[in-house]
Amino acid sequence: MADVDAARRELEAALGPEAVLSDPLARRLYARDASMVEGACALVALPTTPEQVQACVRAAATHGLPIVPRGSGTGLAGAATPIGDSLVVTTARMTGILEVRPEDRLAWVEPGVPNLDLANHLRAMGWSYAPDPSSQQTSSIGGNVNTNAGGPHCLAYGVTSAHVLALDVVMADGSIERLGAEGPEAAGYDLRGVVVGSEGTLGLVTRVCVRILPAPPAVRTMLFGFDTVEACAATVSAIIARGVVPAAVEMMDQGIVRAVETFAHAGYPVDAAAVLLVEVDGNAAGVAAQTHEVEASADANGASSVRVASDETERALLWKGRKSAFGAIAQIAPHYHLHDCVVPRTKVVEVMRGVYAIAERHGLIVTNVFHAGDGNLHPLFSFDRAVPGTLERVLQASDEVVRLCVDAGGALSGEHGIGLEKRDFMPLVFSAEDLASQACVRAAFDPDGRMNPRKVLPDGARCGEFALAAAGTGDAASDAADLPEGSWI
Amino acid sequence: MDLIHPRTVADVAEALGTASRVGIRVLVVGGRRHLDKGNPTEVDVEIWTTQLDQVVAYEPDEMLVVVQGGMRCGTLAELLAEHGQEWPADAPPDATVGGVIASGATSARRLRVGALRDTVVEMELVTGDGRTVHSGARTVKNVTGYDLHRLMTGSLGTLGVITQVALKLRPLPERRRTLVAVGDMALARRIAAEVPLVAGVLGTHDGLEVRLEGWSDEIEELGAAVVRLAGDAVPSDDDATFPLAPWWTWPEGGTVLEAAVVPSSLPEILAGSTIYAALAGVGIAWVGAADADEVAAVRRRVEAIGGIAPAVRGPGGLGGTLPVPAVHRRLKASFDPSNVLAPGRIWT
Repeated sequence: MADVDAARRELEAALGPEAVLSDPLARRLYARDASMVEGACALVALPTTPEQVQACVRAAATHGLPIVPRGSGTGLAGAATPIGDSLVVTTARMTGILEVRPEDRLAWVEPGVPNLDLANHLRAMGWSYAPDPSSQQTSSIGGNVNTNAGGPHCLAYGVTSAHVLALDVVMADGSIERLGAEGPEAAGYDLRGVVVGSEGTLGLVTRVCVRILPAPPAVRTMLFGFDTVEACAATVSAIIARGVVPAAVEMMDQGIVRAVETFAHAGYPVDAAAVLLVEVDGNAAGVAAQTHEVEASADANGASSVRVASDETERALLWKGRKSAFGAIAQIAPHYHLHDCVVPRTKVVEVMRGVYAIAERHGLIVTNVFHAGDGNLHPLFSFDRAVPGTLERVLQASDEVVRLCVDAGGALSGEHGIGLEKRDFMPLVFSAEDLASQACVRAAFDPDGRMNPRKVLPDGARCGEFALAAAGTGDAASDAADLPEGSWI
Repeated sequence: MDLIHPRTVADVAEALGTASRVGIRVLVVGGRRHLDKGNPTEVDVEIWTTQLDQVVAYEPDEMLVVVQGGMRCGTLAELLAEHGQEWPADAPPDATVGGVIASGATSARRLRVGALRDTVVEMELVTGDGRTVHSGARTVKNVTGYDLHRLMTGSLGTLGVITQVALKLRPLPERRRTLVAVGDMALARRIAAEVPLVAGVLGTHDGLEVRLEGWSDEIEELGAAVVRLAGDAVPSDDDATFPLAPWWTWPEGGTVLEAAVVPSSLPEILAGSTIYAALAGVGIAWVGAADADEVAAVRRRVEAIGGIAPAVRGPGGLGGTLPVPAVHRRLKASFDPSNVLAPGRIWT
C-alpha cells in the first residue's frame, strides 16, 4: 500500500520542500501530457541532480509508489500521463548543456534541455544535432530519448537512437549506471539501444551523451506543388530511385496547406492538391547534383509549381509553413487528434485515400502533414469536443486508421510511441510470444514493475506468463477497468 | 563436434527446444568470420545458419531488404547492386548477414554510413529455448514496444539465433575514390574533421587512406580539399575498394584487438604499436598484438580512458567489464533459460 505522506516527507528532506508538489492544482497540472488521456498522481518531484533522482526512486520504492518519468509533457501517446498514486518525476529543472566536445563529436546534456536549445547552442559552434521533432521548441532531449523521437531530418540522418552514444540512468533499484559509451562501442548487450524508445519504463535518464555532426556546408530547400496526391507521392519514389536521400521530404495536403498559409504566409500554393517540401544538404557540389535530380523528379511527375529558396530567410519561411502546421490547425476546430503510423513508402497514397474515406464516413475533417520520405503519416482529425457524439466518432475513426495502417504493413507509431493510447493495439502487430519477450526485457530492468507501469505493453503481457493471461485466466479485463477514460484510443 | 544444419526456422526452433530440454550447449555459426570474438566457450554442437539464405522481400523503392540470417553478404551485395543500392556492412563476401549483426561488426566507412546496428529495423529470432519471436517493423521509423533486435545486435549468439532481418539500405554512390597520403593520425583527424562527408580516413603506421564517395563533381571537390590538407595525395584507380576491415589481410598469428575509444584518444592508444588501422573521427582502431603481454598493454591504454578492446581474431577474449551485470544476467536467463547458447562467451 502506498504511503504518500511518508514519501512526501522523505522527498522534501532530500530535494527541499519547494521541489516537491502535492497540492491539488499541481497534481491536476501533472495529471496529463499532450495526449487526450487524463490521469491522476499523488506527488510531483522536480529534482535538479542525478542524486536527487536517485532519492526519488528510493523513496518511491520504500513507500510503494509507482514512478512516472516526465520531460516537457509534450508526448502525444500518454506515456507521461500518471495513473493512481504515482510519483511524477519531472526533469524540467535539469536543463544544463554540460559539455560540448567537437573533437570527439559528442555533447553531454541534462535530460530537461529543450531540443531546440541544444540545436541552437551547437549551430553557433558550427555543429548540429540531427533529430528535430516538430515539438523541438518545447520537447526535451530526455523525452526525445524516451520516445526515440524523429523529425523531418531523420530521413537522411536517422532517428534519435542513432544519435545517442551513452545514457546515465537511475535504474529501478536506485543505482546509477552508464549505458553505452562515449566511444563507438560498449561492452555487453546494447542496453542503451533498448532504453532509447522505452517510454520511461526501464529507468530514469539523468544525463545524455549525444552524437553531434558538423553542420553541412551547403543546404537547399525546395517546395513543389502538385495537382494530385499521386503525383506528389510518385515524386518521392522518383527521387529515391535516382539515388538521392534528401535530408528531409515533407508532404502536406491541401487542407493543411490552406490552414498554414492563412497563419504563416509562407507563400505555399493553396490551389495544389499536395505540396512537397524537399531539403538536400552536404557539400556544395553534392547539393548541386542532388538538387538537379530532385527537380528532374518533380518535373517528370508534372509539378505545377516550383520554388527554390534563394537565401536563408526564404528557407526559414518555407520551413515555417511546415513547422507551424499544428498551430495553424487550431483555426479549423478547437481540438485535434494526431496519428503517427508508419507505412511502407509505396503504400502512402493508398493509405491516404483510406484515411480520407474513413473521415468522410464519420463526418470528420482530416488533414495530413507528414514525413513522406519515410512513410510516417500524421493524419490529423480536427473536431469540437463540446459537440455531443463527436469524441466517439473521432475514437472510432482513429481505431480504423490504426487498423488501416497495420493492414498496409505498417507500424503503430513512427515517433510518438505507444504510451497508454496505443498499448491495446500492440497485439495487432505482435504475437503473444513477442509481447511476452518484450515483457521479459522490461522485467530484467525493473523486476518490481515500479517504472511507469501500465504503459507500452497491454496488461496481459507478462514475462513467462503471457500464455496464461491470453487463455483468459489472467486478470487483464479487471486491470483495464481502472484505466482513465479515453486511454484505449 | 556435432552439426545441425537447419533448412527452416521451424528446424532451428525444434533444435534449440531440444537442446534446452536436454542441456546440449550450442554455438551459432554463420560464415565463420567472427567466431574469435568473445570469451572462450565450450559447446557440444554447432548450428549452421547457412541454409537459411533466402531473400524474403526486396522492394528497392522502400530502401529496405528482408533476408534470412544465413544469407552471405556477397550474395546480398550483388543483388542490391543490381538496383543501385547497398547494405553498408563491408563484410567479406562469405560472412553471413546474421553473423555480422550478431558480432556487432564495424564498417571502415562508419564515419559516413553510421553504425551497423542502426540499419537493423526488424528481426525474427529463435530464443535459446526454441521460441520464435519478432521485433520491429518493415519501416525505417518505428517506436512500437521494446527493440529486441537492439539486444541481439552484438550479442554474439548468446541470446538467440537471428533467423531473419529487415535492413535499411543506401543508394550506391555515383563515384568513389580512395586517396593514399603520407601522414599520421593528427593529419587523419584533420581530414576527418575538415573534409565534409568524407566516407573514411584510415590511419596506419605507413600512412593514410582516404575514402571519398558521392556525385562526380563532389568527388573532385572533396579530393581537392584532401590535397590541400595532405599535400601529395595520390588517387588510386576509382574502382579500387577501400579496405573492408583491414585486419582480414594481415598475416595469421597473434591477436587483433578492436579498440573503441573517443576519436581524439586514438593517437594515445596507438602509441608504441606498429600494426594498426585506425578510423579517424570514429574512434575504432584494429591493433595487432603478438602475445598476451601485448594484448594486456593495449588494453591498459584503452581502458585507462574508458574504452574497450575485444579481440576479433586470435586469443584474448572480450576484456572489459559489463555495465549492470544484474540486467545482463536476467536478460540471458529470459532468452536462454537453460544457458545452452555459447555459455560464458560474454561473461562467466
